[in-house]
Amino acid sequence: MQVPMHSPVHARADAAPSSLPFLEIEAASFAYPGRPPAVDGVRWRVGAGELHCLVGRSGCGKTTLLQLAAGLLRPQSGAVRLQGGPVPAPGPWLGYMFQAPTLLDWRSVIDNVLLPVSLQRSPQPRDVERAGALLEQLGLAGHAQRHPRQLSGGQQSRVALARALVLEPALLLLDEPFAALDAITRADLQDDLLRTCRRHGTTVLFVTHDITEAVYLGDRIAVLHAGRVVADIGVDLPAPRTQAMRHEAPFNHLCARVRAAMDGVDGMGAAA
Amino acid sequence: MKAASSPTAAAPWRHRALGAALLLALLAAWEWTARHAGLSALVLPAPSAVAAALWTGLRSGYFLPHLGATLQALGLGLAGGGAAGLLTGAALAESPLLERVLRPYVVVSQVVPKLALAPLFVLWFGFGIASTALITGLICFFPLMENTLTGLRQADPQRLQLFRMLGATRWQTLLRLKLPIALPAILAGLRMAVVLALVGAVVGEFIGASRGLGAVIIASQGMMDTTLMFAALALIAAIGLLLYQATLLFERWLLRAHAGTD
Repeated sequence: MQVPMHSPVHARADAAPSSLPFLEIEAASFAYPGRPPAVDGVRWRVGAGELHCLVGRSGCGKTTLLQLAAGLLRPQSGAVRLQGGPVPAPGPWLGYMFQAPTLLDWRSVIDNVLLPVSLQRSPQPRDVERAGALLEQLGLAGHAQRHPRQLSGGQQSRVALARALVLEPALLLLDEPFAALDAITRADLQDDLLRTCRRHGTTVLFVTHDITEAVYLGDRIAVLHAGRVVADIGVDLPAPRTQAMRHEAPFNHLCARVRAAMDGVDGMGAAA
Repeated sequence: MKAASSPTAAAPWRHRALGAALLLALLAAWEWTARHAGLSALVLPAPSAVAAALWTGLRSGYFLPHLGATLQALGLGLAGGGAAGLLTGAALAESPLLERVLRPYVVVSQVVPKLALAPLFVLWFGFGIASTALITGLICFFPLMENTLTGLRQADPQRLQLFRMLGATRWQTLLRLKLPIALPAILAGLRMAVVLALVGAVVGEFIGASRGLGAVIIASQGMMDTTLMFAALALIAAIGLLLYQATLLFERWLLRAHAGTD
């Protein structure tokens, strides 16, 4: 991969978001020992309340970038800033959702949702109420006392989403959370996610390898390849999104652009 | 092992009836052999004679101190050895340094047959309950330590990362994530320890005690009272069965949340 240092990406990212950056990734690089860099000089800005998607093939550095944003990894060069300051240690400000629901099978649904609270302090009636409200928004009102194994895969993902949102984090990081679900359940969850995050004004960074998912959810899409941002695509679809949009021309046009960005890189990689 | 099977419908009743019928048939065959095969009671006493000896021994109170001694050694050894195994396993699982340093000693202590240490313990701690409880404890230690160590390492990286991300302390991660995940493994170790503990207590009494069911067996051998020996064996078997069933119930109670059906 020979992408020149002054690639158009940088210029574009500098010009991009007009709103105040909530999360700012400044030329961040990270390499696991003995491997080529997983994240290589990425610049990216996410404005407060925006939802940005990171797309790319497996092994393009999406998850590493997400872990840099979470403060789980520190960049070896460059910087990651949150509201202008260094990224604090993981805590209530951050919600994170993994590819698998990673629920605690021996605890009830409501206990799972309250886990982030109960690790900080003993849950107050207020917390229980909020957790219950989240479950209700996500269509799980009657399942609070059940155990995760009694739920379907989509319901488990909803519990994990409620858990990530229960402390009303300012930043929500999602790592292909719906990848294992069927198409219809996934579409439902995407709507749930959008609705819930809009309501709370949550800033979201969403990693996916599904182009339509990125276009449907994102205000802006970063296409990653070999640890670099190779395309920055603004999504100008009206909000709120509706499932009907998926079949319309602008949506498909955007999908084609993202796809072309991913394919274009492959051509470059083959040439280099 | 029928640990997982839950008695639900009518089928288990039929299985149980079949089991009881088999037991009765075996006892009848034994009784018949003892009476008609011309064997001396010294070699094979009839089950009726064993039952009579058992009843007399229980009623006269002859067995009581022995039963008490065995149960005491068993209880002390199981509690002491089990707790020590649990704590050591947890310490080794949490500290790689400790594991590297202590592991060889732990392995050596397990490779030495514990029962071979009984004469030494008698020499050090005297004839009686201290020696037998110590042997029992030593035997219980290993399965619990090994299973705790293995179990606590079963937590998957994603859930560990989740706890790290939620700002959980090390203690919280141990108690609320690793321990619940390790619980089935730890309880399997406990089940093994319970069975081994009985063996340890009885065999310990062969060598190191004048009271206890093991001592009764040795004494009845000396008196050539095979019927008494069988009665003691029946008592030991009963203790083993009851303990094992109790452990299963305890296990099922502790794991009720893991089963996920309430």
